[in-house]
Amino acid sequence: MINIEIDGKLVETEQGSTVMDAAHKAGVYIPHFCYHKKLSISANCRMCLVEVEKAPKPLPACATPAADGMKVHTHSELAVKAQKGVMEFLLINHPLDCPICDQGGECQLQDVAMGYGGGESRYTEEKRVVSPKQIGELISTNEMSRCIQCTRCVRFGQEIAGIMELGMANRTEHAQIMSFVNSSVDSELSGNMIDLCPVGALTSKPFRYTARSWELSRRKSVSPHDGLGSNLAVHTKDNKVVRVVAAENEAVNECWISDKDRFSYEGLNSPERLTRPMIKQDGKWIEVDWAPALEYVANGLRQIASNAGAEHIAALATPHSTFEELYLLQKLLRGIGSGNVDYRLRQSDFSADGKQAGAPWLGMPVADINAADRFLIVGSFLRKDHPLLAQRIRQAVKHGAQANIVHAADDDLLMPVVNKAIIAPNELLNMLAQVLKALASEKQTALPAAVQQAVAAVTVTAAAGAIAQSLSGGQQVAVLLGNFAQQHPQAAQIGLLAEQIAALCAGRFGYLGEAANSVGAYLAGAVPFAGDVQGMNAAQMLSEPRKAYLLLNVEPELDMHNPQLAMNAMRAADMVVAMSAYKHHAMDYADVLLPVVPFSETSGTFVNTEGRAQSFKGAVKPLAEARPAWKVLRVLGNLLDVSGFDYDTSEAVRAEGLHTLSLDDKLGNRIAGVEINITADGNGAGLQRVSDVPIYSADALVRRAVSLQKTTDAAVPCVMLHGSELQKLGVVSGDTVKVSQGEASVQLTVQANNQLPPGTARVAAGHPATAALGAMFGTIEITTGHSTKQPENACQVAGHSVERA
Amino acid sequence: MEKIKEFFKTFLLFELLKGMALTGRYMFARKITVQFPEERTPQGFRFRGLHAQRRYANGEERCIGCKLCEAVCPALAIKIAVAEREDGTRRTTQYDIDLTKCIFCGFCEESCPVDAIVETRIFEYHGEKRGDLYYTKPMLLAIGDKHETQIAKDRAADSKYR
Repeated sequence: MINIEIDGKLVETEQGSTVMDAAHKAGVYIPHFCYHKKLSISANCRMCLVEVEKAPKPLPACATPAADGMKVHTHSELAVKAQKGVMEFLLINHPLDCPICDQGGECQLQDVAMGYGGGESRYTEEKRVVSPKQIGELISTNEMSRCIQCTRCVRFGQEIAGIMELGMANRTEHAQIMSFVNSSVDSELSGNMIDLCPVGALTSKPFRYTARSWELSRRKSVSPHDGLGSNLAVHTKDNKVVRVVAAENEAVNECWISDKDRFSYEGLNSPERLTRPMIKQDGKWIEVDWAPALEYVANGLRQIASNAGAEHIAALATPHSTFEELYLLQKLLRGIGSGNVDYRLRQSDFSADGKQAGAPWLGMPVADINAADRFLIVGSFLRKDHPLLAQRIRQAVKHGAQANIVHAADDDLLMPVVNKAIIAPNELLNMLAQVLKALASEKQTALPAAVQQAVAAVTVTAAAGAIAQSLSGGQQVAVLLGNFAQQHPQAAQIGLLAEQIAALCAGRFGYLGEAANSVGAYLAGAVPFAGDVQGMNAAQMLSEPRKAYLLLNVEPELDMHNPQLAMNAMRAADMVVAMSAYKHHAMDYADVLLPVVPFSETSGTFVNTEGRAQSFKGAVKPLAEARPAWKVLRVLGNLLDVSGFDYDTSEAVRAEGLHTLSLDDKLGNRIAGVEINITADGNGAGLQRVSDVPIYSADALVRRAVSLQKTTDAAVPCVMLHGSELQKLGVVSGDTVKVSQGEASVQLTVQANNQLPPGTARVAAGHPATAALGAMFGTIEITTGHSTKQPENACQVAGHSVERA
Repeated sequence: MEKIKEFFKTFLLFELLKGMALTGRYMFARKITVQFPEERTPQGFRFRGLHAQRRYANGEERCIGCKLCEAVCPALAIKIAVAEREDGTRRTTQYDIDLTKCIFCGFCEESCPVDAIVETRIFEYHGEKRGDLYYTKPMLLAIGDKHETQIAKDRAADSKYR
């Protein structure tokens, strides 16, 4: 520790920290533009010049290391003169268009110019003009003349997003921030550049000219998308969400949010929003009031319960629903005598049900990811499924950690990966067994007898050996299972082996939670094996169709593991009650549509993947007649005479369901009593399906976010094959082929992708274009010759991004 | 002595005469009553009357929808909505002034970076229903179009003091 004096204040700061850090500690503000605490230091704006005693010239605070006994003056004559001078230079080429600039009112340049600049400009010559750029649908770069070349966006791309999509071309007055020729900024974290830009050069395209910053009310909220639970600041105007920006939480999302969190708000104001309860009568939808709609539902459920039995009522809910909603849903179902409730819609292996110690979670605090030095990431489309967790892993890798991947697709993670085992989905278990076996011999540790027996038969490949070697060299090992592994038909065994691998390295094992409330849904008891009334899991509910389905925010054709099966079950059911914020495909088969609100209009709680319960309040009032789902379920409980449904607030529901906010004893990844049976099944005819859920198709809200749907990540999925498979089929990239799974088939554009193992075909799930197909795993057949019309899509763009990756 | 003086003053109606003298003086003084509407008081170029929205000489409306006037208005009389026009420029889709709220302080005019919203010399306007004094963008632009010559002259006169 060293002592340094800033403006007469003595501060103690760490060796190696800068004057800027020390000033921050002392509570002294030094004006700056290019400095950002999460980015590297470039010291090119020169705004933070301060006077340091015994230094001949003013020094930039952000790049000057603090030294013992240093005396710094930020308001001395020299410092002020330097700041005024720099400010005048910065404003020389900055256009005076604050009145039409979206940054106006929240602009760092404006603020600093007010505080540290001179009153007027002496510059009368012409200002430079920078031509507008087109870098995609999310970031507006129409006014690049405003840029002051701080390079924050460039450094963000290089250091945080992992890919340099913006760069500074040319020198001096000709310096411009631009993307590479004709390419757009496609990073799933790109929106953070808007927050970072200290001026109005990079602004939000969807927000453009919507409101001035002083008109907005700011409400804290929590992201309803991925498992991280990013903290959001929801900006509202006239009871409408008009913008979402990051709220800082060092333990969760630091100061970043993904584009999905940022721009999905457009879905909140979608014209597809359901505004009044609707009942289908004689094949026609009629709008009704809440009372008759709920009576109708209650009567229907009562009738089915008394005629066919309560076990013929089933409930499916997305893990994007709040804890309170899920808790009341399962309580309602169990209250009327059915245990058929599940949130694990895309899961296919339920053999670990009841055998797991608790809710599957990350296995460690999110912040500990940065401290890990070895990663084994199994079955995860990491960047697209968990943009910010990927970012944390990227930071860890940058600081020397090694990332190992076992997956069915070699997508670019934008970080160095030391070992990759890219294998067909049905070999995933085998590969983990190999890694485990290699690791056991590496560590010279005996495996538990049952496991030892199971892995004895496998032969260790070079890739598995390399992974084991990497893992065995680590002090802090993290074994993480992604969405793909959790959706895998052998998920329980994969979990068991992954846990063993982590145990051998004395590391930690966790699941990267698929959705905002995956852990919360488990804790709420929205699983068939929790509580006193047990029932069927999500897969059984569809394979043995029920008579009545309650859908909470679910769109069965997009959210389920097997959309085909789901749709058949829905069509065959006597009664389908869709509680949804949107009018969607359920109009075809549902009997009642109940308008419930998305996260921004209700209070609730999400328990993120590290088990952090984050409660939030509604940012705006419910739209029209839509109501929070917990209120709907509460009234439904009363109508069905289920006891204990007299809650006044969502807080009361949470208090009952979550008991306490310390969740440690309720989380547990340990699996006991699952047999390991390593056989690669289904290696017959056809190709193994590898299915990801595209980042902007993952939930109902983001599917309706207009701007996100225009990005390359939201392009209509193609069927991607290894180049050798294309040759076998005799087609080339861009051809239309018929993709069949079971009895269903769809026409898709084919695309070569050598990042896939041969023998597999990557067909995205969760998208209307592929919804007709069956389960997310399995074999599919591709036939040519059906040269029907080219499906209208942007596949070429998607292909372009693949090639670049 | 005082008392006697007081007694005579009361008795001889001194105060009355003093008062009447004042009245008499004004009776013969120059009259300042203005016979409106035949006669009008002079107006300064900073007169703050009815609002108007101006256009540039090429017919393009000046207002860019920066909302500074809305923000500064102490009576919350201004309501603005903004959107991007097809040509990419920032324009208002709604610009309303509720004249029943307006206190004619002139802050809107002062805050405007493009001299779009101005207060004119017009003060003799009326509404017969409450809604009549709710001025919308087309109404404000029409006033501007009609009185542009005078408005421009006033701005020019004021310019050297700004």
